[in-house]
Amino acid sequence: MKCKHIKVKFPDFLIGELEDISKKEIQEHVSTCISCREELESLSEIWTKLGVLPQEQPSDSLRSRFYGMLDAYKQGLEQEKELPRVHKLRGGWLTHWWPRQPAFQFAFSLTLLLAGLTAGYFLNLNGKKVYEVASLRQEVQGMRQTLAISLLEQSSPTERLRGVGLSYRMEKPNKKIIQSLLDTLNNDPNVNVRLAAVDALYLFHENPTVKEGLIQSLSRQTSPLIQVSLIDLMVNMRERRAIESLKQLIQDEKLNPDVKNHAEQGIQQLTY
Amino acid sequence: MNSTTDNQLMEEVKEGKVERLAILFERHQVPLYNFFLRLTGNRGTSEDLVQDVFFRILKYRPTYRGESKFTVWMYQIARNTHIDHLRKRKKEVPLEEQWEEASSREPGPSESVEQLQDIALLRQALAKLPLKKREVLVLSRFQNLKYKEIAELFDCHIGTVKAHVHRATKELGKIYFELSGGMVS
Repeated sequence: MKCKHIKVKFPDFLIGELEDISKKEIQEHVSTCISCREELESLSEIWTKLGVLPQEQPSDSLRSRFYGMLDAYKQGLEQEKELPRVHKLRGGWLTHWWPRQPAFQFAFSLTLLLAGLTAGYFLNLNGKKVYEVASLRQEVQGMRQTLAISLLEQSSPTERLRGVGLSYRMEKPNKKIIQSLLDTLNNDPNVNVRLAAVDALYLFHENPTVKEGLIQSLSRQTSPLIQVSLIDLMVNMRERRAIESLKQLIQDEKLNPDVKNHAEQGIQQLTY
Repeated sequence: MNSTTDNQLMEEVKEGKVERLAILFERHQVPLYNFFLRLTGNRGTSEDLVQDVFFRILKYRPTYRGESKFTVWMYQIARNTHIDHLRKRKKEVPLEEQWEEASSREPGPSESVEQLQDIALLRQALAKLPLKKREVLVLSRFQNLKYKEIAELFDCHIGTVKAHVHRATKELGKIYFELSGGMVS
């Protein structure tokens, strides 16, 4: 069938990748075959029309998130590299000192054990154990923070919720965590995640950055849920500086009436 | 043209120079973002998916084989990322329902109201196309992938890809015609 043979070439015709012979063949055929001509015309029409769909630019946050991820990954790689080097060092040192005879090996181990016990006893007296525990705790904290930040950057809202949840459990969050939580509060597309971020940030409201961030965030929120919980938070914090932001908020004509009521009450409570 | 090819850069990333991924990101983030935007219709989701693709590139860099073009490998990862996203979204519908927030774009100075309507209509029509057809169409029409490369990506014969493009374009035309109320000449 001539038509079938011609139609197979249509996709190549659309992207303009046909040799002249094939193009000529198609042209000759459609000049006489109406059904093929109509099909080719409608295919070309919609194919060309698709060109009006504009190429859009992603927001700046995509770039900053990517570089954040790349940095974290690089750091992880470097830490991994450090570990085997320490092992190698220890290995060389041990083979050098380790006696060949089993009897000596046993005696050597026993001496080491005794030395270790004695040293441990004295170290304990000196209170160094406390120091070790403290440094271990710090390490766990650090790991928890890294995990929380990476979870906050996940595409799934549940993962991000987990990230927020993890940051609750930190005694002293570092700047990065606080910034991530504030970014989540201001930019996360999901209301539930933003709400969880408000709760987490409340725990750290003594921190001046958090306080400032929360006050500023009020003007950026559009969801009534978030607005109400931020207003409650301001009142609980007894933050007088928030009065200005609240006054600005009620100026907004599009503001939800319930939120407006809530904000007015908040101003009253903060003024007295 | 840039002196270092994508494949060379990816080889370096594979060998441990992960900072070279930054160049690949700068080259491909916009096309990749638009690829997802045409599949999902959601800007926030599309950005999340782009981020996810580059994370997976790092994670799976030891499995990179330089035999095919880097973009083919990248779109392979992109397709998987999108499919995983769809699967996850099904599980947690309540969260996702609120996720879609109104995202409207201001018309550019050169865009007329009619053109904006046309864009909206085409987007709707694309969204109605079954996923595989939509993927093939977007890859061939917008992402500058050759039919041969798409065949590699889908692990099928080049003839199958062409047949898909043919059918997808035809179907899209039909849907578009119906959506516009048969007003198109």
